[in-house]
Amino acid sequence: MTGLLEVRALSLRFGGLQVLDAVDLDLPEGMVVGLIGPNGAGKTSLFNCLTGSYRPQQGTVRFRGRDISGLPTHRRAALGIARTWQNLGVVGGLTVADNVLLARHQHAGYHALAGLLGLPGTGRRERELRRDTEEVLDYLDLRQYAAEPVDGLPYGIQKRCDLAMALATDPELLLLDEPSSGMGPEEAHQLGATLAELTGQLRLTVLMIEHHVPLVVAICDYVYVLNVGQLLAQGEPAKIQQHPDVVAAYLGEPDGAA
Amino acid sequence: MAATAAPRSPATIAPAPPTLAVPLPLAGLLARAVVAGLVAAAVLVPPLLAGSVWQQRIALAAIYAVIGLSVNVLTGHAGQISLGHQAFVGIGAFTSAYLSFRLAAGFPVAVLVAAATGAALAGVLGLAALRIRGLYLALVTLAFGLTAETTLFNWRAFTGGGAGAEAPRPALVGTDLRYSYLCLAVLGLVLLLDWRLVRTKAGRAFVVLRGDERVAATLGVNVTGYKLLAFVLSGLLAGLAGALFAHWSQVVQALDFDFQIALVWVVMAVVGGLRSRAGVVLASAFFALLPTVLPELLTASPVQPPFLNEAVYHVLPPFVAVVLLLLTLILVPGGVGQLLLPVRRWLAGGRLRTGRSAPQAGDGG
Repeated sequence: MTGLLEVRALSLRFGGLQVLDAVDLDLPEGMVVGLIGPNGAGKTSLFNCLTGSYRPQQGTVRFRGRDISGLPTHRRAALGIARTWQNLGVVGGLTVADNVLLARHQHAGYHALAGLLGLPGTGRRERELRRDTEEVLDYLDLRQYAAEPVDGLPYGIQKRCDLAMALATDPELLLLDEPSSGMGPEEAHQLGATLAELTGQLRLTVLMIEHHVPLVVAICDYVYVLNVGQLLAQGEPAKIQQHPDVVAAYLGEPDGAA
Repeated sequence: MAATAAPRSPATIAPAPPTLAVPLPLAGLLARAVVAGLVAAAVLVPPLLAGSVWQQRIALAAIYAVIGLSVNVLTGHAGQISLGHQAFVGIGAFTSAYLSFRLAAGFPVAVLVAAATGAALAGVLGLAALRIRGLYLALVTLAFGLTAETTLFNWRAFTGGGAGAEAPRPALVGTDLRYSYLCLAVLGLVLLLDWRLVRTKAGRAFVVLRGDERVAATLGVNVTGYKLLAFVLSGLLAGLAGALFAHWSQVVQALDFDFQIALVWVVMAVVGGLRSRAGVVLASAFFALLPTVLPELLTASPVQPPFLNEAVYHVLPPFVAVVLLLLTLILVPGGVGQLLLPVRRWLAGGRLRTGRSAPQAGDGG
């Protein structure tokens, strides 16, 4: 199994605050990996370092063996790194279909100026992009909401739209930031089925931040535990659940030092 | 003229409203065709009937509309503020005047080079402004405009100093009638360009970039590239409008491009409704005509209030602009475009009234 993503000694500071401290992480291709840890552990910051939104002071990020630490975010997206957002990356006021269409940006197949001038071929590509969009919508059962403004829809549907946008970029690595937050157990269960299907059919590699333990246990092959910027533990989900350090970090030290 | 008759909703880039799936009855189709025809006629016929004065005013209104659409590209589409637009319009005007009068270049060459110069200057500002936003961007663009105004526009060899630069019109568009049609034709082209922009890749990149730059970048949008594109495109249109203005007035001076005028241009784009083509065009025409028509109307009115006189009438337009801006921000944040929304929907084949409230248009840039 080849490593899709390799993170080595990643450290991020904001002023005097050590957000990430020498984090190592490996994502073998095709695996679904969980990233858990208490609030403020640095999980979302790690995502931001992987996508290039944050520039860590130290450490490297390798994607398919290539050092991408210096690449800007949009170049990493072009390599196939996509993410969803804890508080949604959808554009309010636009319909679900238009949001997904936005996300096909890098597959437009024509230069922005060519589109502006209406050069031959751009019209055909636009029709194809709309077909791609419908395909993604069908895949995530969003067809019935296609023409609805996204901000008027239930939170769960908005989250699915956010996921659809990430998928529309044709990623190889999908970073999911709390995909089940705001969902009931029923919805979370369904999400788990969808994600399992996605990774199975599209052969995606997934790294997901998730608090909902049953979901992590159900679909993750491997779990990393982050606590105050450091890796606390890693391993298979069932073993991680029993890990004394993890239990302590989540539930407080036995001696009462929360 | 279809773009003028049926501008699309400012906030959406929907391919087509779902209502289009049901074919309209013939009567409905006919009614819409008649309205679209009337709008086209309202634009195209008046220059023929009007005298020279109104032909000039129509030309100026069209030039202002191009400026309004230029501000709209930057502020409406890309969400970047510019309080220094007089720099781009001015450089276009002086470049075109210099090329056509001093260097005896052909009119199309002068105008195109002027547009390119506007684009280049805006590109320079864009490069400087890439990393700042909001209030600081406003300050930088303001300083940029003021600097251009006091240095570039007072460079005697280029602008003729206080006497101004001559900008002759070629014979083909020498009359006020022909010049007004030229300006309307250019406005038509710019409207077409904006329509293409919104419907294609670049327009969508602007939508997501305006919302959240980090989200845009993770979707593969080159944020700095597209911001720069917005500056360059906006500068291109501003330079183009400047060239048209130069040959409209036939003498251009640094005084034509002062700071106040740049504020009026921002106000007219906001009052028109950012991202609403029809709204921006209407509001721009209104602000183009206001300084001449308002004093005229008041002076001609039979009742003259004792505390008002002709001198006061001439300082009223900025006051009207400010009042309109406040009314827009408080009552109709989407500007004229928001008011036009039902008409637009009807022209596109929908109903005049719907249960759903209008989508939010302007977010104030």
